Amino acid sequence: MRDWRPLVRQRLASLDLDPTSEADIVEELAAHLDDRMRELTAQGMTPEAAEVALLADGLDDEALSAALASHRKHRRTIVPLGGEDRRHGLIRGLVGDMRYAATALRKRPGLTSIALLTLAIGIGVNAAIFAFVHALLLRPLPYANPEQLVTFWGTAPDKGLPVVNYPDGLYAYYSKRLRSVQPMAMYAGGSFTLSGRGDAERLDGAYPTADFFRVLGAAPLLGRMFLATEHTEGGSRVVILSYRLWQRRFSSDSAIIGSSLTLDNQPMTVVGVMRPGFEFPNRSSLWTPLVINPQSLNCWCYDAIGRLVPGATPESMALEVDAINADFWAEREGRPRRPPSPDRSGTVVRALSRTLTGEVNQPLLLLLSAAGIVLLIACANLANLLLASTSDRQREIAVRCSLGASPRRIVRQLLMECVLLSLGGALLGLTLAAFAVRAGSAFVLERAPHVQRIGVDPLLLVFTAAITIVTCLLVGAVPAIKGAAISVASALKQGVRSTGDKGTRRLNDTFVVAQIALSLMLLVGAGLLLRSFSNVLGIDPGFRAENVTVGRISLPWTTYGNAPAIHTFAARLETSLRAVPGFSTVGLSSTAPFSSNNNQQNMRVQGKEPSAGEPIPVASVRAVSDAYFSAVGTPVLMGRAFNETDRRDSAPVAIIDQSVATRYWPQASPIGAKIAIGGDENLRWRTIVGVVATIRHQQLDRAPDHYVYEPLFQEARLTLDIVVRSPLASSEVVSTMRRAVRDIDPGVPVYAAHTLGDAINESLATRRLTNTLMLCFALTAVLLAALGIFGVIARQVAARVKEFGVRLALGATPVAVVALVVRRGAALVFIGIALGVAGAISLAGFLRTLLFDVTSVDPATYALAPLLLATVALVACWLPARRATSADPLDALRAE
Amino acid sequence: MPASELKKGSAEFLILSLLEKRARHGYEISKLIESRSKGALRFNVASLYPLLYRLEDRGWVQAKWVETPGQRRRRYYRLTAEGKKVLLAEQRTWDEFVRAVRRVIAPEYA
Repeated sequence: MRDWRPLVRQRLASLDLDPTSEADIVEELAAHLDDRMRELTAQGMTPEAAEVALLADGLDDEALSAALASHRKHRRTIVPLGGEDRRHGLIRGLVGDMRYAATALRKRPGLTSIALLTLAIGIGVNAAIFAFVHALLLRPLPYANPEQLVTFWGTAPDKGLPVVNYPDGLYAYYSKRLRSVQPMAMYAGGSFTLSGRGDAERLDGAYPTADFFRVLGAAPLLGRMFLATEHTEGGSRVVILSYRLWQRRFSSDSAIIGSSLTLDNQPMTVVGVMRPGFEFPNRSSLWTPLVINPQSLNCWCYDAIGRLVPGATPESMALEVDAINADFWAEREGRPRRPPSPDRSGTVVRALSRTLTGEVNQPLLLLLSAAGIVLLIACANLANLLLASTSDRQREIAVRCSLGASPRRIVRQLLMECVLLSLGGALLGLTLAAFAVRAGSAFVLERAPHVQRIGVDPLLLVFTAAITIVTCLLVGAVPAIKGAAISVASALKQGVRSTGDKGTRRLNDTFVVAQIALSLMLLVGAGLLLRSFSNVLGIDPGFRAENVTVGRISLPWTTYGNAPAIHTFAARLETSLRAVPGFSTVGLSSTAPFSSNNNQQNMRVQGKEPSAGEPIPVASVRAVSDAYFSAVGTPVLMGRAFNETDRRDSAPVAIIDQSVATRYWPQASPIGAKIAIGGDENLRWRTIVGVVATIRHQQLDRAPDHYVYEPLFQEARLTLDIVVRSPLASSEVVSTMRRAVRDIDPGVPVYAAHTLGDAINESLATRRLTNTLMLCFALTAVLLAALGIFGVIARQVAARVKEFGVRLALGATPVAVVALVVRRGAALVFIGIALGVAGAISLAGFLRTLLFDVTSVDPATYALAPLLLATVALVACWLPARRATSADPLDALRAE
Repeated sequence: MPASELKKGSAEFLILSLLEKRARHGYEISKLIESRSKGALRFNVASLYPLLYRLEDRGWVQAKWVETPGQRRRRYYRLTAEGKKVLLAEQRTWDEFVRAVRRVIAPEYA
């Protein structure tokens, strides 16, 4: 008997079926034909006649393949779908839904990739920013019960001093009386030259008072803490090392305890090694005891830290400190007591965690909110996209409904598409975030010493999961519910290509308005920050940073314990550096601008002493060499700079800056007036010989302190910044500097070398990064909003193409038709902008602390941002609107 | 009404009905339809199998290759739960339709 399989296979060839299903069909049909053949011959037909009859009955060329063609299409696209499938249970049902959703998404690769990308960006930026927020703000500090730890300092805004550290005298007084914190400690940061056992190196460390380690709940890994007797003159030649230093420099040798090392040319006995991770303050490598002189008020240089006792709050503590201060000054100087009042407290008490994160707190939270807004906009965009695609699929959904799918099942399947999109978006987003975190963590770790690590950790995953779920609900809920509410009858009846019902259109519009409003808010925020940044950059720092390189040296006091020794060293150094070709000017200062280490002291002006009860003004003091001002490029406004007549044996002189001059001599010339710096003991009146421009020493955007300059050669300072103005490359300048110093004293390292320009940039780093990210977020938001409005308008144009065709046929001008479309988009844009402006004004207050010289309702920003957004949005409306005019009335009608 | 149109409208219903009690293979289904309709309805390979595949795709019937010793293997179709539901609904609609037609026609005979 004939084998029917080759014939059947040939008939199926054009269908391009997948091999297994083709083999099944061939076998099944061949069997059927065999049966039929057998039946016909049994009825008496000859096999030939039977074959002819069979060939004529459905096996002619086209019939079979045509009939099966629809089957093939079926196989590829439609996934079985009906009512609840009880047989499979919930999980199998979900798996089925998921498979269906995956198929549905694969069928629309354009939509799917746009959606994934949008979600990846939205979720990614949030996850990345959150990783930093977590590391910097949320993760508890690595100390015992960190929530009890507070830092505190004095404040005197009326003297222009927001932060005043404490002197020895107040420490001694507080440690006897202060009850709110138990225990309490103070410390001063410092740096040390470690020599012997390898190259000399400069290390950061601190001088703590007795209870310092106890306050922080830190215990040594090896050895012990300091003894009370070691906080006294003569007993303090002991040092505790950080774990990291012990590991790196002493190869974790436990015999280090009790041995001696050389710090600043002095032998010191190692008494302890701290546990890993303890490096407070900053990244300290070592600690040596602070010796307090209870009578001294000379050095207002100690940071205070303590552990709040149960029941005490920062507010109650500030009041207690104020009261103790009043007692102190009454006892010591007979000043009248002012009743303490929280309104003008002279004390700031702040949680240690907040002090450590202080500066990044605000920008980080701002960026997190901005990232959140970007995600919201992305959600609105996607919701619109899915809503549109739901309308497109009305017919499909209607067919499924009529086949018995329950609305619940439809919602579930539409939601499942969203779940898949969100999951994909979250995975991509996490990948993006991981890259961003890796790129940014070096930046942060360098600047936030209390942070140990930043990375992808469980909390980040939880956060990402949470925003993904919220995203999914925001994006998916409306289209899914809308989808399930489709009227089956009408959807099947019309050859619909619609923008959906009125409700859907209103939702589209709402989402567009929301996107415009939100992106305007971001744009305004970014605009305000940019304006602030350019204002900060425009500030005259009072010196010229270009071509200036700075390097620091610290002379050991064992060798340089007297002024003549220091002066000889300084003079030799200046002479030898000045001889270097290309070093146009060389100066020395106790602290160059934008270098750490400040020295604030009481300032007295003869004839202008404060009356009783009035605060004593404070000035920052710098000891500088003769050529220093020309080296940093600070103009002398009045009088003269220091010169070779200002030496140890000549009359004491001083130079003040403009801010001191305007404060005390707003009209007259200060030249010749007398000024004194420091405490009452050995008060030394100096004659003012010059006025220089005000230098911003710390931050461009912070009001400068008062500065008083003394001649280096009338003072004795062990730590000196070498300032060289030279057109040579800064690396070359630094190595020349090193050589020159080594030639004079090989035991003195040059450290912390940098250019002044880099130092200024570094001080702006956080601001710059915040701005850049805000700008990126804002532009992303604008782009998303533009895409959003583009999509909505394009759909509306497509749906009304027939109407436009008719209008054009009836004589409407193309311009009128475009206007018709754009007008509708413009209405949405303007509503969005109005809402956005309102929102921005009400929220811009949060930005205030980050702004500089710009009000939060800066007119220029509020004019430009909406203008920019409106332009972009209207172009996004106009592009699809143009297509309306290309509608050929005949085509439009024929398409029906 | 010409047989071809009837066939088109109700073929799926017929097939589902035939599968209500037991699983059958394609040739058996075509023979049953032909014999029960006394030759009025007839399916060939080009009309029957695409229909079966469609029902299978919708999940109303499920097909399985069954091997019987001494015979070639055949593909048997049986109703799924889904298919039973659809069949039930179709039967109800059909009954209602028939009853309605009767009610329209009945008075003529009263």
